[in-house]
Amino acid sequence: MDPSQAVREGLLPLLPRLRRLARALAGQTADADDLVQIVLERALSRAAQWRPDAALDKWVFAIARNAWRDELRARGRSQNLFAPEEAGVTAADATSAPAQTLDLAAALAALPPDHREVVALVLVEGLSYSETADLLGVPVGTVTSRLARARATLQAHLGKDA
Amino acid sequence: MNPIDDDTLQAYVDGELDAAGSARIDAALAHDEVLARRVQQARALRAQLQALFNPVLDEPVPAHLSALLRPASPQTPSAATPLAAASARRGFGAGRRRTSRRWLVPGAAVAASIAVLAVALWWHTGSGLVRMHNGQQFAAGTLSHALDQALASEPDPHAAVAIGLSFRSTDGRICRTFVAHGTPALAGLACHARAGWSLPALSAAEKPAGGELRQAASDLPPAVQAAVDARIRGEAFDARQERAARDDGWR
Repeated sequence: MDPSQAVREGLLPLLPRLRRLARALAGQTADADDLVQIVLERALSRAAQWRPDAALDKWVFAIARNAWRDELRARGRSQNLFAPEEAGVTAADATSAPAQTLDLAAALAALPPDHREVVALVLVEGLSYSETADLLGVPVGTVTSRLARARATLQAHLGKDA
Repeated sequence: MNPIDDDTLQAYVDGELDAAGSARIDAALAHDEVLARRVQQARALRAQLQALFNPVLDEPVPAHLSALLRPASPQTPSAATPLAAASARRGFGAGRRRTSRRWLVPGAAVAASIAVLAVALWWHTGSGLVRMHNGQQFAAGTLSHALDQALASEPDPHAAVAIGLSFRSTDGRICRTFVAHGTPALAGLACHARAGWSLPALSAAEKPAGGELRQAASDLPPAVQAAVDARIRGEAFDARQERAARDDGWR
């Protein structure tokens, strides 16, 4: 099979999840969809590298995570794409989220990238610790400790506002 | 009893503990209010994150993104041909090229080779037919796509997933039975939910005999049939109702 066609066909049903992951990483809807576009272009240009025995979702999620990190680097020293307040307003622009989830979006956007990506992969996308560790190329213990610290930060933030 | 550390508690909330580990926490929760509150907080955070981002799954995908995944010109049999020929020489399936569908006609020998291709395609699209979400099974990849798009009234004999019955369940959701051809073949019941197609029943299916690729809904494994019987409200959809339900997003 033409690998690019297999990847195209496989990616189509994954688009909603890819958009969700991008939203959790990049925050703002427009930026998240820009990220998705970059990811799709990269995935298609690298279709020949995809091994059929690898799950396509994990493969494309890894591309998304790397593209997001590249974008962060390209945008300079800032650790975050957006100021927390801005992300807080915009992350929920498509939803009528109650005030508490606005705060959560802001708190998530304020996390360091190492923490935000484990929250996005484990808590939003539902990957297991070991799948997340594979995807990030770090030991499982690193995933769990980052996740624990990210949770503590988010929970402290929510507790403060509650 | 040993104190339960934060990592263990986190693993419990995230469904990462084995049965024995989970049982130990369950037991501790029953008489430790502080612990129970920590678990409740961690679960609430997870639920809030899901509530924040899961609505994205229900948004229409912007056309410029899905357009990237369509071949430039559907009319061109194309550049794909030499590649496919090359992969065929290597013994790898050229399964689902659009151009190949027309000449794939029924017949035992051809069907057998289609079966091989279908299996190759099956593994090609990955092990990603089922995903876990909050401890529940959901359809993913090809399966999810077929449940969204395929109509039993317009069967595609070469599709990797065949849809059987569609019906409205007693809880108001639309459910569909399917058989996914592969190794192993899977049959199941999928019910439409906010987060996708949940899979209340999933079972190994009999391999269809004699190169018969499609499997009738009546051949469902007993576990799946029982799940249908437990849920179905009224009659299964006819072709018109099935199409209308699809057009309405299976709501």
